[in-house]
Amino acid sequence: MGRESTERPGYEILSIVTLHKERILGGKQLTLFAENVEQQKLMAQDVAKAMKADVVQMKSGDYLVIRV
Amino acid sequence: MKEGIISSEHIVMIITAVCVGTLARILTIKEDFRQYPSYPNGYLIHLVTGFVAASLGAVAIPALMTKNFVAVTFLTLAIQQFRDVRKSERESLKDIENTEYAYRGEAYIDGIAKTFEARNYFALIVSFMTALTIQIVDSESKLINIISGTIVGAVVVYLLKRFSKGKTIGDIAEVEEGKIEVKGSELFVDGIYVTNQLGSENAAKMFSNEGLAVVIYPHEEHFRIALDNFGQRQAALFEATRVLGVKRYHFTRKEYEKGKIVITLVPIIKDKDKLIEAVKKTPLLESVKKSHTVMKTNLVGKE
Repeated sequence: MGRESTERPGYEILSIVTLHKERILGGKQLTLFAENVEQQKLMAQDVAKAMKADVVQMKSGDYLVIRV
Repeated sequence: MKEGIISSEHIVMIITAVCVGTLARILTIKEDFRQYPSYPNGYLIHLVTGFVAASLGAVAIPALMTKNFVAVTFLTLAIQQFRDVRKSERESLKDIENTEYAYRGEAYIDGIAKTFEARNYFALIVSFMTALTIQIVDSESKLINIISGTIVGAVVVYLLKRFSKGKTIGDIAEVEEGKIEVKGSELFVDGIYVTNQLGSENAAKMFSNEGLAVVIYPHEEHFRIALDNFGQRQAALFEATRVLGVKRYHFTRKEYEKGKIVITLVPIIKDKDKLIEAVKKTPLLESVKKSHTVMKTNLVGKE
């Protein structure tokens, strides 16, 4: 997004919900491990609801909960 | 003119000029109400500062006529006061940024604040010109003095309004409704990728059922310079969200190939015509002005 990345609003990754343990590498966000896709969706949604945030589904299948 | 502290001619001149100058400010507040943060106290603040500006313009001529040349230096005070008007307006708009549906953006705030400063100069110039006319006409009849001053004041208001009137997005671009498509968690408008933030099923469903989108097509290639500007797009998004409200989500995105701009949101009031109108009427910000072909001012009242 070029210049836009320096502009408000700033994005913050609050949580990552993944199905693959090996993708949990750390970071300041909350990283959650789900056992199946349904659970993954629910976990992402619950965190998003609690934090009033948005959900992004990555092509890899992982979910990010981000806040604008 | 009678000798003394203040003559009746000067009183007539000052009162007429103050009235015409203040009226000029009142008219310009109404003219530009869409940019105005619509709260009654703000309205009053600007009326009072307009009155003060008109008073300063009105007393300049009597001050000169009574050889009180030092008194004219209070005009510098006026400049300072108007700068404070700009500053206070900017601060006030910045303070409420976090409470709006979308950010106005600093470029838009700067433009609005400058407009408010300029409108005070309107009041000053109009009252000054009114007083000057009365002085030049200097008729025996007070009525003729008042009428001639008022007419010149009105002409000056008209010219200044024309001069300061900027263009809007609708003048340099076509705004049309865009077709919303949600593919998985990705949002597309007229085939232009907008975001992938619709990761939850609720979000995707809400956007495909209730979302509204417009696409801005610049008339000329060079208009892209203004439209691509982040501040300009933010201003358009702000106007759209202010008119329709936001239930959830609002995005703006530019397409690089043809310079199309997408504005999309899930509004409270689903009215595509209002959305198109709001985006069309968004002022072109002075800060994005890069070329005379983008923003010609209308000095002689040409549309």
